[in-house]
Amino acid sequence: MTFAPALTTLILFLAIGIWIAAILDAVFYRRISGQGGVSVLSPFYAAAAHLSRQRLTTEAPDRLNWYLAIAGYLAIATIGLAVVPFGPETAVIGIKTSVVLWGACESLVVVLVFLHGWSPNSPLALIGAYRYVAIGLPIMLLSMFVLIAAALPARSLDLRDIVASQEGLWNIIRQPLGLPLFLLLGLSLTLRGPFDYADSADLAGGTSVEDSGANRAGWQVARLAMLVGFSAIAASTFLGGYLGPILPGIVWLAIKTLILMAVVIGLSHLLARMPVARMLGLIWKFLLPIAFVDLLLAGLVALA
Amino acid sequence: MAKLASQAPVPVFVAQGDDAPAETARLCLNSTLTIVETPRAAAILLVAGTIPASLIPNLHRLHDQLPHPRATVFWQAEPTDLLSEAVTVRNDDNLVSVLTDTRSSLLSGSHGTEADLLPDAPPNEWRGVGSHGQGGKGMMGGTPYGRPMAMTAADFRDGLELDAYTADFGPFLPMFPPGLVLTLTLQGDVIQKVSVVHLPFAGEGNAGAALLRLLGLPALAKRLLRGPSDDADFKRLIRLSGVRAAIPPGLGCAPIGSDVRERFERLTTDPGNPSKVHVDGVGLGDLLIGLEWHEAMLVLNSFDDESLRAICANTSSPELEEKNGDSMDHEGHAGHMS
Amino acid sequence: MTDIAFYALSALAIWSGWRVFRVDSMIRATFALMVSFICVGGIALLMSADYIGIATVFMMAVEMMVMGLFMVMFMMNPAGLNPMQMVHQHRFSIGAGIAAFIGLTVAVLATNLPNNPLPAGRDTLHDLGVELLGGSMLIFETAGVTLLATMVGAVVLSSRPGRFGDSDAGAVPPGLQPGGQPAGRKVEKSGGHGGHGGDSSYDMNMKGAPKSDDAPHKRHGKMPEEES
Repeated sequence: MTFAPALTTLILFLAIGIWIAAILDAVFYRRISGQGGVSVLSPFYAAAAHLSRQRLTTEAPDRLNWYLAIAGYLAIATIGLAVVPFGPETAVIGIKTSVVLWGACESLVVVLVFLHGWSPNSPLALIGAYRYVAIGLPIMLLSMFVLIAAALPARSLDLRDIVASQEGLWNIIRQPLGLPLFLLLGLSLTLRGPFDYADSADLAGGTSVEDSGANRAGWQVARLAMLVGFSAIAASTFLGGYLGPILPGIVWLAIKTLILMAVVIGLSHLLARMPVARMLGLIWKFLLPIAFVDLLLAGLVALA
Repeated sequence: MAKLASQAPVPVFVAQGDDAPAETARLCLNSTLTIVETPRAAAILLVAGTIPASLIPNLHRLHDQLPHPRATVFWQAEPTDLLSEAVTVRNDDNLVSVLTDTRSSLLSGSHGTEADLLPDAPPNEWRGVGSHGQGGKGMMGGTPYGRPMAMTAADFRDGLELDAYTADFGPFLPMFPPGLVLTLTLQGDVIQKVSVVHLPFAGEGNAGAALLRLLGLPALAKRLLRGPSDDADFKRLIRLSGVRAAIPPGLGCAPIGSDVRERFERLTTDPGNPSKVHVDGVGLGDLLIGLEWHEAMLVLNSFDDESLRAICANTSSPELEEKNGDSMDHEGHAGHMS
Repeated sequence: MTDIAFYALSALAIWSGWRVFRVDSMIRATFALMVSFICVGGIALLMSADYIGIATVFMMAVEMMVMGLFMVMFMMNPAGLNPMQMVHQHRFSIGAGIAAFIGLTVAVLATNLPNNPLPAGRDTLHDLGVELLGGSMLIFETAGVTLLATMVGAVVLSSRPGRFGDSDAGAVPPGLQPGGQPAGRKVEKSGGHGGHGGDSSYDMNMKGAPKSDDAPHKRHGKMPEEES
């Protein structure tokens, strides 16, 4: 695929992905709370409802950073999806260091969520922002070890080569600890479930407490876009991306992305969120050592 | 756009007052409504129960935070003077249909949006006393935009000089028991000092559902509110979520006798029979100081009303009555902090 | 195309670097610095140093985030609601800044910079990897471990629970004889908290497992017994 069709595919993938993610979110929520079904058009209704309300602002906010945070989050999600190969040697951003670019995107997400909480000049939003930084940074470290371990068999930092190296065996089997740890990163990047320290209920919405109208709609759309981008990256790194018999590559990628999105959304509605200090202890004392072990195993396998 | 928007559930922010109807806690079960956690996401402010006179300025500030187009509905309460044209619902009217109709008329424009009750201007002059307009203590201090700047104070845990922020956290916060107003001094998100400005209302909240919401499980909270009939599924989901392990052990324990974990167990397995706590002489200071925000919210919401009212009555209240106007549901404190 | 990109990135880098010193809000200053570094990372990308460019963005985002957090924690005016002046001698610093800029610009423009264009398609990432684990391995590994040791040392030095008690309570080391006076200086009666700290930690040290610095004291203690 050349650039223009790849870009169109990207935009379609993202748009449809956001819509499906919103529906899946509502479906899981309804099922677990014991209520009935969900209308397929409900995301559009919700978006229209948000857009129909005026955008109010607080006193002395940091307006530039507020809009930058929301727009930037969406942009980073798009870049994340752009790195994913849709077919052999076809990715909208096809560089040799695409895994490092994804890492840079992860770190920028932490920056943008912080700015989102900082900008409204509101205490609950600010608490959400810096609490998230305390959790987001070590989770990012975790993901870097996992990605390096996934890059070792491919002998390349290019996501296209990582997918190509899974022709024989998917990374989820070769590197069993990788995907569970990577899914935790997904929960943190999309501010969901057990890692939702930025927008949590105990802060009345955290960094989004002062968002109204179009800003609110924008932030929610950006979160869902990040979910789509992250799931596509995880599908490419661990489930073989576009590889698969009979159906065209992009369909396989879509199926695998859908499965991972459902898993992430399911986890976010099922698992409880512990207080920050406890979670910090868990990450540094338990999860990071496991990530080291994962890297060690991948290294031993690569040397063998 | 308006037609699409009217298909979505009505976003309502509930401001709970004294003698709120028992159904208030169960409003979230109705699928045509969404009870939102911040007034910025709401179109309708639902005032359930009488708001005492001391909290009416807070209600007006809260009202101004809803984005336009907005409306207020008073449920089992008299509208306040400034909001006398708001819709009122008595006990026997169908609240949900009134809310839906109000929202539709807001969207179509037939019900005009309610104007601001308070002036949209900073309460104080910005310009301070220093040569650059600042508060006079070097580059810092003073009250820019009418808000006292947080100045350095030693953290009581390790003596580190950070900035302590004091504010009132208001009666309508969704994670507070309704009616409770606390003046908290925070270092970051750790509570350093607490005093009670207004006691919580005596009502029938569902503490188990509140705790589940705080622990990131709003769907399970709804299930709990629906009723204990889904016992097996609910127990399985609670076990699967690891929520009991998520609560730190020994939280909110001494000198009460039971910690949050045990109280949470009681609330989710046997809601009608909350655990007994010994509240003689225990104040919020003993329970909350040194806890970070999330843990403090868990502790606050784990008590049943009577115990919580007794504990709050044991806590000191601030001598300073001076409050600055503020456009959030908390307000800055002048006086000793600046 | 590359030229346009280079000039645009350089201009943005210089402008945002200047903004670091002109904004009142420390958070804006921090992230303006980050923008400046991101532009430099972009310029590295233009020079085919892919990994270095993107890693610069990655690292700078994390570092500026941590710096921003410290700004919020420690600075009294992080939002810039009060106007702020970053430097103490305003005119002198402007002069020094301009002089340094002119000096460095002249130096860069006047030197003969090397002109070795890379062959197209050269795998710079592979070259970088070979260099990092080949000739420069000693430098990077020792630098990494040294930085880690420095960080751990700084945290240990600044933490309040000290070796012999709280660091702001005037902790004193244990005595040469078990149960005797603290070694070194005499305990003053006026410093109540100092003596208290010394006593309690003194007991703790005696009860605990022998540490490495206790061993010399113990040897001192043992010798008179052996002799007698």
